[in-house]
Amino acid sequence: MRIVPLASLACVASFVLACGGSIPPPNDEWAAAQADVGRAEAGGAPNVPDAKLHLQLAQEDLSKSKALIDQDNRRAADLIAVARVEAQLALSIAKQQIAEAEAQKAAADLAKAKGGQ
Amino acid sequence: MKLHRFLVISAATGFALSACGGDIPPPKQLVDAQNEYARAKGGVAMQLDPTDVHEADLALQKAQAAWNSSQDPNDDHAIDLAIIAQRKAQIAEAEAAASKAQADAAQSKADYNAAIQSQLAATKGALSQTQQSLSQTQSQLQQTSQLNAEQKKQLADLTAQLHDARDTIAKIAAVKDTDQGMVITLQGEVLFKTGKWDLKPAAMAKLDQIADALRGKEAPMVVYGYTDNVGTYDNNITLSQKRAQSVRDYLVSKGIPNDLITAQGKGPDNPVADNTSTDGRAQNRRVEIVVSPKKS
Repeated sequence: MRIVPLASLACVASFVLACGGSIPPPNDEWAAAQADVGRAEAGGAPNVPDAKLHLQLAQEDLSKSKALIDQDNRRAADLIAVARVEAQLALSIAKQQIAEAEAQKAAADLAKAKGGQ
Repeated sequence: MKLHRFLVISAATGFALSACGGDIPPPKQLVDAQNEYARAKGGVAMQLDPTDVHEADLALQKAQAAWNSSQDPNDDHAIDLAIIAQRKAQIAEAEAAASKAQADAAQSKADYNAAIQSQLAATKGALSQTQQSLSQTQSQLQQTSQLNAEQKKQLADLTAQLHDARDTIAKIAAVKDTDQGMVITLQGEVLFKTGKWDLKPAAMAKLDQIADALRGKEAPMVVYGYTDNVGTYDNNITLSQKRAQSVRDYLVSKGIPNDLITAQGKGPDNPVADNTSTDGRAQNRRVEIVVSPKKS
């Protein structure tokens, strides 16, 4: 007799978790991811091929997650989390490529200056 | 009781499968994340960006826990966590590479500035030396210019003085201007007796006037003695040398500087007239004093 209420509670909990009913709409996370994408764009990611690829992935995940909000908030939250790291990686790659190009130019300038001595 | 036993057994079996990992291979995303994290931990990222490496570590632990829990290759949540872990490891590596490149660029720029400063200092030093050299050259040029002006003035003064002297001398002797300078010609009969080199008193009087006119002019002079062609050549050379020397010594005794005047016997060379006639031979027996306005 004590087992029946426990089973019922487990079933209800499973149903609630499956529907995502306990996960609130990740609107704040979506806005944060959108901000990450904006930072990547401002940081030059669209002009760096490797960075551009990850920026596009971030934008695609953001678009998919938008459609899932209020339908499947757990999945939407996962996609938003992936979108954020994709955008952050795009920005990091852009920073890396720009810094390496600047380092190469500085090294070339130095070699030229030393060659002129 | 039976249902309770079944649930307990099922849960225990599931836990055991999860703990052992079972035989299901992990998804590619998780393997990639593990490899990426190992690369980040073993590379420069660990020194330059340990915070991001640590975050990648935490994300990887989370992804592995999700996989261990589900053991479902199609579990989107576990796969997303694996992707996140991989991306965080990649971020750590990219940030470290960016930091290294920025440091390299800063060092190169500092070295560049030092090299440029060194070149600038060297150029300034060379410019300073050039300016100093130019200044010295200009100073020397100015001194040379002043010296030239003084020499020109002295030459002009000397020329003017010689011109005055010429007018005076022209009254007592034949004077002509040549490329060598002013040539004063005195006939031999006026100066010496035949075959002698002692000056006649009349000759001394003329030479006194010539010495008066040339004294103090600082002009170099050469006294040339000439004869006609009568007699041997050697005798004529000797006679002309002695006569030129007599005139030279007399002029020195009258105040012409010893170091400015020389004597030279030319004998019958350079005749000015035909030696076949008496008159011609008389013209050839002569003493010429060549006065040059140029200082030797």
